[in-house]
Amino acid sequence: MEFFFQQVTNGLAVGSIYAIVALGYTMVYGVLRLINFAHGDLFTIGAYLGLTLLAATTITDKVGGVLGLLILCIMVMGLVALAGTLLERMAYRPLRESPRLSAVVSALGASIFFQNAVMLIYGTQFRVYPHDILPRTVISIAGVDIPVMRLIILAISLCMMAALYFFIQKTKIGTAIRATAIDQGAAKLMGINVDRVIAIVFMTGPALGGAAGLMVGLYYGQISFTMGWVYGLKAFTAAIIGGIGNIPGAMIGGLILGLVEALGSAYISIAWKDAIAFGVLILILVFRPTGLMGERVAEKL
Amino acid sequence: MKKTAIALFSAFFLMAGVASAADTVKIGVMGPMTGQWASEGQGMKDVISIMADDLNAAGGVAGKKIEVVVEDDAGDPRTASLAAQKLSTKGVVAVIGTYGSSITEATQNIYDEAGIIQIGTGSTANNLTEKGLKLFFRTAPRNDEQSNVAAKAITAAGYKNIAILHDNTSFAKTLADESKAIIEKAGVKVVFFDALTPGERDYSAILTKIKSVNPDAIFYTGYYPEAGLLLRQKMEMNLKVPVIGSDATNNPDLIKIAGAPAAEGFSFVSAPVPQDLATPEAKDFTAKFSKKYGKAPASIYAVLAGDAFKAICEAIKATNSTDPKKLADFMHTQLKNLKGISGDISFDAKGDRVGSVYKVYKVDAKGAFVMQP
Repeated sequence: MEFFFQQVTNGLAVGSIYAIVALGYTMVYGVLRLINFAHGDLFTIGAYLGLTLLAATTITDKVGGVLGLLILCIMVMGLVALAGTLLERMAYRPLRESPRLSAVVSALGASIFFQNAVMLIYGTQFRVYPHDILPRTVISIAGVDIPVMRLIILAISLCMMAALYFFIQKTKIGTAIRATAIDQGAAKLMGINVDRVIAIVFMTGPALGGAAGLMVGLYYGQISFTMGWVYGLKAFTAAIIGGIGNIPGAMIGGLILGLVEALGSAYISIAWKDAIAFGVLILILVFRPTGLMGERVAEKL
Repeated sequence: MKKTAIALFSAFFLMAGVASAADTVKIGVMGPMTGQWASEGQGMKDVISIMADDLNAAGGVAGKKIEVVVEDDAGDPRTASLAAQKLSTKGVVAVIGTYGSSITEATQNIYDEAGIIQIGTGSTANNLTEKGLKLFFRTAPRNDEQSNVAAKAITAAGYKNIAILHDNTSFAKTLADESKAIIEKAGVKVVFFDALTPGERDYSAILTKIKSVNPDAIFYTGYYPEAGLLLRQKMEMNLKVPVIGSDATNNPDLIKIAGAPAAEGFSFVSAPVPQDLATPEAKDFTAKFSKKYGKAPASIYAVLAGDAFKAICEAIKATNSTDPKKLADFMHTQLKNLKGISGDISFDAKGDRVGSVYKVYKVDAKGAFVMQP
């Protein structure tokens, strides 16, 4: 039983990162019906910016660990949001009236562009975050070892999801986003500035992705310019499992994917872990083609 | 006017072409200059550039200067086959490289068909020299030799239950399979045998599974980026079991990723780096390298690339020829005990390096690699 619970906590920790990245995919898809393939690379950019800012500002030494990291996180989210806005302006807005395939190709191109830009700026080597920033405390409950950082990551992801959900459901801008998601033309007729709404979507989603990149860097230590590919793919899968376009769905999808991976590698085989995860994706899509929470995609966002 | 310009222009290029063909010998270097193993490829380039400069300053070989042509294979078999095709058209006599067995394997036939000598530097999988390719050599030792040394280290330490973890690359998988067979014969039980996915960040699910079978030690046969993460996460999970690595973990980046406290006590099997060797060649090379780059050579595979360079230049010098067939014949039969940086270099009939070079290393509390006696 200990073994089972240990694997569950492992799975939730991995899954909560997938979940935050998945939120970005799901938001963009919900509003634009576009899979933003460059989202994984915005995640990478977040990880690298975090490291650069950490080294350049030495903020954690100046104002103390927790507050410093909070400020760092806000800076990273802001800068990645800027990158997201630029991405939307350059790669997607000119193609908004074009067939959907053009935007998909543009997204793939943007992904390759970002990946190469990171490679050229930072080099191809692994970069490593300092080891002593985060507390490495491990608590043991009934034989299950849980690093405190994992609980914090899970808590941060839940907070981010809740904040995003509140933002979409309860604020005026959120209402405008939902209206745009349902029908862009009708939203325009109602006096909604669709361009601005889309720009906001492309700030929020990438900001969350950037924060996830920062968390991965801080927690696992090692970052590389190709890391966005694996996380992007997994988060995209998570968004589909949960029902793409649905915010709680992305969160639940991420956690389920993390759990399936952990339990699959625990009870079946480690080498088959990814095959099992994608097998579950296919099964879910067979029985619920819109994903677990994906009914009435647009309205639910 | 225009015509004269064109004529002059083409004459210039023709002459340039003739000139370069006449007084240089081109040697190709194919390595992972980008990608996850980039530090290995950059190291190869650094080492060979020092040796080529030295040689050229001393007048080159057989009256000709050496020209090094570098091509990036990104540590990826598909890119590598393109790099090999590109190098084949550039008039190189021999190609040094590359790191990674599956990447080397993707290029072997291309070079063989083009009649170019290839000297593998970090490709240890057994089958590479079992194909009967007359122009393929390697300065890297073979996997089966490494399996023997690793198995010996494991049995000598008195471990009874071993967890073996690989990463499904052809190098790591063969090493894992062979070591398993040898240590099982010696009466050690293999309680866990599986593969992780390279390139991921979180290996806690695997470590939890290993913890549940309670082994005396973990033998990880894959590469250093994952080994670093494994060590770091192992410490976080309070899993106190020694880890033994393959020679692919012999890279200082491992310590950067894991952090010294997590890496302490980690041991691995590897050919020795030159700063641990007492031979004059090793000392001389370490001094030269440190002078130029401000640090000792980090990776043994970069050094083995230097030895490959030494071997091919020796063959050109001795035969006074750049005919690959002649050079290969010389290297197979007459090149004996050439003083290399990593030790004496001789090749057997298959193109494998003769003699054992493996040592056991251990990481100390400061995160330094210490060669064990």
